[in-house]
Amino acid sequence: MREPATFLASAAFTIFTTGCTIIAHELSADLRGLLVAVTGHHWLSVSALAAALFVTSSLLLAGSESIRRTLKAEDIALWSRVLMAVTMFMTLGCLMVYTIHYISG
Amino acid sequence: MPDIIAGLALLLVISGIAAIYHQSWTVHATVAVIALALAIYASATGAMLKGRIKGSSTDVFWLHRRIGVSLGAFVLGSIIYGIWIRLQHADPILSSVHGRLGLIILIGMVLQIVPSLVKKDRAGYRGLHMVLGYLLPAILVIDSAWGLHIGVMSETKYLVLAHSISGGLAALAFVWIILETMYPTEMGLGRARIASFAASLLVIAGCWIAGGYNYLTDYGSNVKPAILAGGYPWAHQILMEAKEHVFIFLPIIALSLSLTIYYLDDDRFAGDRRYRRAIAEIACMALLLVLLMFLMGAIVSKAGNTGLEA
Repeated sequence: MREPATFLASAAFTIFTTGCTIIAHELSADLRGLLVAVTGHHWLSVSALAAALFVTSSLLLAGSESIRRTLKAEDIALWSRVLMAVTMFMTLGCLMVYTIHYISG
Repeated sequence: MPDIIAGLALLLVISGIAAIYHQSWTVHATVAVIALALAIYASATGAMLKGRIKGSSTDVFWLHRRIGVSLGAFVLGSIIYGIWIRLQHADPILSSVHGRLGLIILIGMVLQIVPSLVKKDRAGYRGLHMVLGYLLPAILVIDSAWGLHIGVMSETKYLVLAHSISGGLAALAFVWIILETMYPTEMGLGRARIASFAASLLVIAGCWIAGGYNYLTDYGSNVKPAILAGGYPWAHQILMEAKEHVFIFLPIIALSLSLTIYYLDDDRFAGDRRYRRAIAEIACMALLLVLLMFLMGAIVSKAGNTGLEA
């Protein structure tokens, strides 16, 4: 039987990595160029990356008991809070990066 | 009788506000959003009465009736307000889908409230009352999104409209999940699963794919240049940039929530409070994200419309 909480852990990992990629591609023209080169549009590449990360991490967590044990991936209370914290932190981070970008012209 | 008098007083207050702020569609929208919140509350108390979800209040029937009457006042008030705005512009009242949906909501409300107050034996009418009670919040969401679209944009872009309506219905599905976890019953897990699948489908197909297609094909070439050339360039540079990227988190959250609920068993859902609490927390966060996207989208659309008109 699959542990329900593992999907929250996968989502937290995906959102953290995607959020870091979003912030990094705003700060680095090279990374932005790379993302554009992959699919033709940076937004499409970030979307595809998020989908691929979620599927991969979910399969990895579902398939490996040792990773689940190490990450305490069965603790739903822990991972729901981590997911909320990561989402809020990344949302505010993105807003801050674009605000600073706008202010600095 | 006191409920009816309170409802009529509420209607008078709303009509008075409509008379003072008759040019402002935002006040009409605010009245409609309050009506939507009351419709959800009325559906929840109705479900408590039937035992579909566990009630915490001792007199649910009294609460349900009082909310129903207030909801009727807000729906009628919102419709009077809408008619007033249309008359100000000398537009035919039922020429738009928004107006026709408003009329359907009004008929639905009359069918809900009048027999409930007049009929003593309501046994034969309960089925229709239940179906209408669950349908009304969904129709109100569609009509509110449609009205917001008309208010913010001068033209109807059906893809953007579908994107907004999907977001509104997904928000309703997240509210449904929150209610099922707050007031758990035997059948609650099954219904929460249906609500979570609906939320995932709406977020992925209606919001992610439809919104993304519009962003890639229309927004970048038509709307973005107009916003940047207009008086509110920050609407694109801060809000739209943040929205288009933060939005990507939402399908991931909706999917993880769906899978979490799907793999949950009845024993843990009913017996372990930690699971229900975690699901409710994630659904609340998803709901907040949808509302944030809605607000950002409305501001960006308004800035785009202002830029295109200039």
